[in-house]
Amino acid sequence: MAIDSSVTSVLPDTAKSTALPASGVVIETRNLSKVYRDFWGRRKVAALKSLDIEVRQGEIFGLLGPNGSGKSTTIKLILGLLFPTSGRVLVFDQDATETRKNERIGYLPEESYLYKFLTTDETLDFYGRLFDLSTEDRKRRIDELVEMVGLQGARHRQLREYSKGMTRRVGLAQALINNPDLILLDEPTTGLDPIGSRDMKDLILSLRDQGKTVLLCSHQLSDVQDVCDRVAILHQGELKELGRVSELLKVQDVTEVHARGLSEAAKQEIAEVIRRHGGQVESIDNPTTTMEELFLNIVRESERRPGARRVASEGGNATGAAAANAEVGR
Amino acid sequence: MTLQPDDFWSFSEWLLRPESFLESALLQGVVLLAFATLVGLLVAYLVSAVRYGPSEGFYAVARGVRDLFRDDLPGTSPRRIFALARLAYKEAIRRKVLVVVALFLVGLLFAGWYLDPRSSDPARLYISFVLTSTNYLILLLALFISAFSLPADIKNRTIYTIVTKPVRATEIVLGRMLGFVGVGTLMLVPMGLASYFFVVRGLRHTHEVVDIKDLGDGRFSGKLSYDQFHEHTFTLEATGDTDGSVLEGVTDYVRGHRHIVRKVGDRYVIGEPTGALRARVPSYGELSFTDRSGNLDVKGIDIGAEKGRGDYGSAGIARLVGVSREARRMEFGYVEGGTLGSAIYAFKDVTPQRYPDADGIPMEMALRAFRTIKGDIVSGLSGSITMRNPDNPKIESTPINFVVQEYDVSEERLPRQIEGTDGDQIRTLDLFQDLVTPDGRLDVILRCIDRQQYLGATSSSVYLRPAESSFAWNLFKSYFSIWLQMVMVIAFGVMFSTFLSGPVAMVATFVCVLLGFTAERIYDIRYYLDKGEAMGGGPIESLVRLVRQDSMTTDLDVDAIAAKLIKGVDSVLVYTLDVIATSLPNLPKMLSTAEYAASGFDIFGSLLARHAVATAGYVFAAFLIGYFFLKTREIAA
Repeated sequence: MAIDSSVTSVLPDTAKSTALPASGVVIETRNLSKVYRDFWGRRKVAALKSLDIEVRQGEIFGLLGPNGSGKSTTIKLILGLLFPTSGRVLVFDQDATETRKNERIGYLPEESYLYKFLTTDETLDFYGRLFDLSTEDRKRRIDELVEMVGLQGARHRQLREYSKGMTRRVGLAQALINNPDLILLDEPTTGLDPIGSRDMKDLILSLRDQGKTVLLCSHQLSDVQDVCDRVAILHQGELKELGRVSELLKVQDVTEVHARGLSEAAKQEIAEVIRRHGGQVESIDNPTTTMEELFLNIVRESERRPGARRVASEGGNATGAAAANAEVGR
Repeated sequence: MTLQPDDFWSFSEWLLRPESFLESALLQGVVLLAFATLVGLLVAYLVSAVRYGPSEGFYAVARGVRDLFRDDLPGTSPRRIFALARLAYKEAIRRKVLVVVALFLVGLLFAGWYLDPRSSDPARLYISFVLTSTNYLILLLALFISAFSLPADIKNRTIYTIVTKPVRATEIVLGRMLGFVGVGTLMLVPMGLASYFFVVRGLRHTHEVVDIKDLGDGRFSGKLSYDQFHEHTFTLEATGDTDGSVLEGVTDYVRGHRHIVRKVGDRYVIGEPTGALRARVPSYGELSFTDRSGNLDVKGIDIGAEKGRGDYGSAGIARLVGVSREARRMEFGYVEGGTLGSAIYAFKDVTPQRYPDADGIPMEMALRAFRTIKGDIVSGLSGSITMRNPDNPKIESTPINFVVQEYDVSEERLPRQIEGTDGDQIRTLDLFQDLVTPDGRLDVILRCIDRQQYLGATSSSVYLRPAESSFAWNLFKSYFSIWLQMVMVIAFGVMFSTFLSGPVAMVATFVCVLLGFTAERIYDIRYYLDKGEAMGGGPIESLVRLVRQDSMTTDLDVDAIAAKLIKGVDSVLVYTLDVIATSLPNLPKMLSTAEYAASGFDIFGSLLARHAVATAGYVFAAFLIGYFFLKTREIAA
């Protein structure tokens, strides 16, 4: 299996100040704006307009938006890769350009911009050396991370030989090398297959469970929905929506009931009851599962029982539906 | 090889110039650094004032300076520098730059075919060849690896993963420099070793005895075969400590070398060529002249056209405060023949401990001859050497006659015992007892014997040779000089690459290096401008003259206002160029250390120390500039 999210919990915590700001706010942007200019200083595009967000300790915060909405710009401003045109970014109550904050930050860039001429081991060793880690700590951590991202078999191959997914995993490992308190993930699931993508999401959740703060940006809405506690939706550099995912997605005037083993007559009766109470029945139907669930179930099944799978008659899908039923019934 | 006056400076003399502090390297370094800092701050302020407004801009610059001293310099960690250096090193190695070493070795394999075997001084040819080729190859390579790496990282965005770690700009700049210096060193070592063996093996050859004649008195004279486009003659004598069956002798010097010939029984053993690869350690004296009536004179006679152009020397910071100086020339002063005119070399530290050889003190001369009449064209110009006690000029040896060998170094020996005059009496003088003062000073006087002919001498023309250093050690010092140049180019390359794209950074570094080579011309043009000498004027004036095909000594034939304008613009250009040329490293001077090794002279330690200190200074400046650019750069922009 690729990313074993349980391993991170056994990573030793290095002796570093884990003192968080009293307010519990890890990232704070104040009236943050960024205008890109050309060589002559002429205004090209306002990528970000007066952004005010707060990311609190221990939450998974999602930045959502279409391409060019300012997500990546925000992340780069938080990392100090860009300087704000106006406004401020505070990370752990320090200015974003302050180098010391990086001790506690892990960053997975959009594409894994790694040195292709290094092997996995060399890559992690190199990034590890940039932190105050003892040699033993560094070695142990590299071993754990390699195991966690499932690259044990490819430790001594240069990254140029890797597939996109494998490079992504090395990228993730390097982002976690310092056991960071704040993790910034730029499009974390791009380039990963559905299994890797699910593993990544599980990992993100487990990082949160360890008390770490995660900021991710994505345009894969399902990812955001699956893991984020709060999201900010950006469009054309402006903040359009901000809040808890559960609240944002709740359709206030629709009620959903999941039940198992009802007869056709019972369903009719329930519909009747709803109508009697002045409600409007929109649909009574069997739920469908997601493509992700279907795929994962097939792969799990295949791992349990290798060999060609008997494809069910067209239109019916025993495995998928059964699994989904089990899922719904949980 | 002719040395310039500043080549004789000791390290402290160069650094401090006790008599003219304005020209000292220390002052120049300090002023350059201060100047660079000032310009840097000003530019930084202007840029951030445009970006953030006048007052915010000031605070931004102040914050930058504060960050450097409060956080970035103290926070710089050797561990991270080393990690980044290893990365740069691995990058270069995995990009297969070592192929260049292989190319060099292949080049050496074929070079033997193309080096003229008929050369009169093959050693010089071989040494010059290996040193020059290594030098340019390494500098070119340093230029490429240093200028392209950082821009590539920024373009590929691999730098994102670095700057989001607790890495400081100081560490990135230093790490790169260190890594590339490592790569360069790794390449220089095999190239140096290969060069050494190429030179030593390339010059190795042997001959056979083709002709032998019994001279009757137990001695033999003979001739060696014509091999490698030359032949030798030799004489053999009994060695004494055997029963007479072993005879030994040396051949004459041909093409800078000779062989030892031994006769064991009936067999002849011809030794390896010796004397070709040398590293003479000279001890130079202070030169003064007397004119034809015997009065003291500083410069000797100037015969004009024979004054060659040499390397240039900058007058240091004195240039910036208006002291104008012609580019330094090698100054050959001439002595008129058949008169009281003489060249006097005052040597120091002449002690029996330094010159233990019983045959006398080895002295070598590379003099020039200037003829006003054809004279005796067979035997050459003759001169004489007289030794004199500096404290008591009445004690003087009888003259030793010699023939001037132009374009060659001739070896003489100052004998331990020599006839001479002590006041009125004539007696045998002991060199160390009578002629050398107790504190080890000795005057050696050169005169020209032939009437109406002139003998040319400069400070480096005549020297005592207390010791001989090894050729391998000398070659190593040459390579150290190449290494220093490489470090300098890498520092500049990395500095430019922090704010320019790869190709532009390379060109900028290249221009910095090249400008050093034109500095001499720039100094001259400024000198002529200051003096008001009509020598063609500055760039615009000379362009006008070129187009109009005007002679450079006539007045500029344009109307008065245009002439004023042209001269005005020219002087701005020339003074600006002068400042730039003075500020840039003196790479040509460093390149010319190869000349020492090629000519068979030990490279002075003080010269290397000067180069090393200057390199360190420029590396420091490049580091600071690189740091500020990287620090204030929006990496992701």
